[in-house]
Amino acid sequence: MHIVVCMKQVPRDNSVKINADLTINADGIEQIMNLFDEYAVEEALQWNEKLGGKVTILSIGPEDWKEQIRRALAMGATDSLLLSDPTFTNLDTFGAARVAAAAIKKLGDVDLVLCGRNSTDDETGAFAPALARLLGWTQLTYVGKVVTLESGKIVAERHLEEVVETVEASLPAVATVVKGINEPRYPSLLRIRKVAKVEIPTWSAADLGLSAADLLPALSLVNRVPPPPRPKGEVIEGKDASEKVARLVDKLMEAQVI
Amino acid sequence: MANEIWVFIERTAHGDMAGVSKELLGKARELADANSMKVGALILGAGVGDLANVAFSYGADTAYVVDDGALAQYTTDGYVGTAAMLAKKYQPALILTGATFQMRDFSAALAAELDTGVAADSTNVSIENGTVSAVRSSHGGNVINTLTFAPGRTAVVSVRKQSFPEPQANPGRSGAVVTEALPGVPMRARVVSVAPKQGAVNLSDAAIIVSGGRGLGSPENYYKLIPPLAEAVGGAYGASRAIVDAGWVPYEHQVGQTGKTVSPKLYMAVGISGAIQHLAGMRSSRTIVAINKDPDAPIFRVATYGVVGDANEIVPLLTEEIKKRTGK
Repeated sequence: MHIVVCMKQVPRDNSVKINADLTINADGIEQIMNLFDEYAVEEALQWNEKLGGKVTILSIGPEDWKEQIRRALAMGATDSLLLSDPTFTNLDTFGAARVAAAAIKKLGDVDLVLCGRNSTDDETGAFAPALARLLGWTQLTYVGKVVTLESGKIVAERHLEEVVETVEASLPAVATVVKGINEPRYPSLLRIRKVAKVEIPTWSAADLGLSAADLLPALSLVNRVPPPPRPKGEVIEGKDASEKVARLVDKLMEAQVI
Repeated sequence: MANEIWVFIERTAHGDMAGVSKELLGKARELADANSMKVGALILGAGVGDLANVAFSYGADTAYVVDDGALAQYTTDGYVGTAAMLAKKYQPALILTGATFQMRDFSAALAAELDTGVAADSTNVSIENGTVSAVRSSHGGNVINTLTFAPGRTAVVSVRKQSFPEPQANPGRSGAVVTEALPGVPMRARVVSVAPKQGAVNLSDAAIIVSGGRGLGSPENYYKLIPPLAEAVGGAYGASRAIVDAGWVPYEHQVGQTGKTVSPKLYMAVGISGAIQHLAGMRSSRTIVAINKDPDAPIFRVATYGVVGDANEIVPLLTEEIKKRTGK
């Protein structure tokens, strides 16, 4: 079984700024593995331990993004692949899906692609569905449990807002996972040291046979602003807790929210 | 490109039209009237009954219906394959869907199938001189993006519910029904079963949410204080990531970047410091109450009303006071 995990590097928190050219400025914010992708890595590793084969970490980004790939290798992934090219700098979700699809086609022997349900920065949740359609594969989004994974078949629970839907699908497939599907492991120090010097293969746009047209964004970003500031609030004062509480309830009743 | 705006019609568990579909029909009607366009309702399912007439009453001019046993349950292959066939044939300028998990699955795959893009989880959509634009937030609500679609390609926009008001139904309105057969698309996935989710809390639908955080001190304090206050105000109870990860409260209750995004009319944050990941999930709430013993906690920066003090002292008093004053 060859499982590919698509992993994105994102800012640890979203206290980002907006540059004059509308790009995102995350200077000074630590870059981490997208939290939902950690669950995808862990799920891939657990199935790999049962079934054998390969777990390949696939990421799109500049050369200096290798740190998070190494973290996934230290967790136990067997292989890695960085897709890196100056023309990938401003990919949108569907552009990224086209790049990943080209790489997965080139790998050739992939049975299952796992991703987090969305990235915590762009939050589109559209990468995996686009990837599945581009590959012509089945998709299973919001998976909270993989029940069965075997040659040519996956059975998984999709954890939707109010129901759990159990779906049986043929492989190859693309699946996204939700938080809570597992407990991601911490990489051991021993393994961190072991993978520190591992060569991470890197493919460029040319290696993938991608042209400039493949990388064009589907949507044009025409404006980007911070949210409007919230109206200034007030601190409820009082001589003791009872007085503060009584005043708070007055305010809430005046505002007709209780 | 046809001059039509389509709305994908979603149904509730009882088979009625979902509120978000009515909201979207109302918005589509408004955009269509302003731009000399028409509104189409996209109705897929098995035994769709009277939905076309309901769609007409909320503003649709045409209902595109595929009624087939193979569409009894949502599958990406069945629904996206069918919708793509219809969209390629009739070329709508814009397709609007809700933004539930199922619709996020559908809209993104449909956009890819139509070789266009998707504006996911949008909060507004407009059309000017034939160009469709959508507004969506990213980065935990810290960035508001306006995106435009290339003219001549079908725009696909999934829209967060309650972004638009629900229009008045006009039961006398009528329209045209276009019935199509299920296209021959491969169906590679099968729904084996659908079960209610254990401990499901629909925080996104709650008008009032009371959330607790690490400042409460222990899971015992959380359960002693938060659910009773939530009950007194008729709300649901939520939690910060810190106490979900610590195992105090199940993940279903988590509000924030890796939990649920909510915007109730009243959000009460008790013992929550207000990490940016938490603010991401609740900062658009209408009224925010913060109770925290640290006067410098970031939660006070977004709070409408702040109370500085020990939650263990304040919350029982607050619960009693609210019960007394609201007569519950």
